[in-house]
Amino acid sequence: MALMPKRVKYRKEQRRVRARKATKGNYVAFGEYGLQSMEGAWVPGRTLEAGRVAAQHFLKREGKLFIRVFPDKPISKKPLETRMGTGKADVDYWAARVKPGTMLFEIAGVPEALAKKALVRVAMKMPVKCRFVGRRLSV
Amino acid sequence: MHEKSPLLTAEKRERIGTRYAARDRKRGRLPAIVYGHGREPLPITLDAHAALGLITRGEKVFRLDFPGHKEADEMQMVLLKDVQFDYMGSRIVHCDFARVDLNERVRTRVHINLVGEARGLKVAGNLLMHPVTEIEIECRVMDIPDHIDVDISDLDEGHVITAGDVKLPQPDMKLVSDPHGVVAQIVQGVELKAAEATTVAAEGAASPEVITAKKEEAKPGAAPAAGAKGAAPAAGAKPGGDAKGAAPKK
Repeated sequence: MALMPKRVKYRKEQRRVRARKATKGNYVAFGEYGLQSMEGAWVPGRTLEAGRVAAQHFLKREGKLFIRVFPDKPISKKPLETRMGTGKADVDYWAARVKPGTMLFEIAGVPEALAKKALVRVAMKMPVKCRFVGRRLSV
Repeated sequence: MHEKSPLLTAEKRERIGTRYAARDRKRGRLPAIVYGHGREPLPITLDAHAALGLITRGEKVFRLDFPGHKEADEMQMVLLKDVQFDYMGSRIVHCDFARVDLNERVRTRVHINLVGEARGLKVAGNLLMHPVTEIEIECRVMDIPDHIDVDISDLDEGHVITAGDVKLPQPDMKLVSDPHGVVAQIVQGVELKAAEATTVAAEGAASPEVITAKKEEAKPGAAPAAGAKGAAPAAGAKPGGDAKGAAPKK
């Protein structure tokens, strides 16, 4: 697993409700362009890593990429052909909680066309519908 | 400025709240509020198409007209103070306006435009970073600029332009933002290999350290040897279970 926390308070976690809209982390804050999720999902750390690799290989050494979400939620999974019960299963992977509106990736230091091409490649890797956005109006 | 300021026709909102605001939006109105100058806040609605067109164009000072409303608020000068977006951050759902006089000094945020091609960008792999895209200034309402141009043509690698370095258009304008905020900076691009190396290192760590498991070990009287390794969440290992299992051995 590429991304996961260094220290946690508890090994396992309950699933919790995830059908909510993003009220924070839903705008381009660090870069100039961003990839915004249109749906909610638990995005595994390896998927985020795949997105990062896709963008950085495309951009070569140009621009700077920001990953705006972090997989800090442990997802447990029972092995195949196992009977139910005997406690909660082991942690299978770590996921980031993504809500509709969450900004997943941001890019700075490249023209808009290049940023869009890079982020479209990232969007192909994501398990959610995404859209390309710029900085929003500020007053 | 007074004549130049765009005119918006406002209607007073009789019923306020989420549902009524949503109904207003459905019929093409934009909910807003006007406050300031020691008077009661006044909830209003504006024509969404006209108002959003002006706001997205960067207008900040407006003349508000209240047709058929017998109040002193007629033809009020207002300053756009805040906008609220929906959860996707793309649609403006509400605006805040503050009553102002043209000669009044106000605090407002102004966008920064970077002008010119930085010298440091001619070196391959260098990046232009501008974390601060707007600065807060204090000035008279009639002097509020649309944007402030900052020349970056002399900016070289390692040099930084901070908010304090930005030359304000009028001498009586005062910078309110942190003067150390980085407006423009040339940085070296991160090597791809270096980034991949950190990933490989992270993969080496099997699982995260569990803070609570460590605390249980430190308890006096708890079984020492069996649970000692329990910092890492090994498969099926329960910190509490270890302690129970070790107790009968005593």
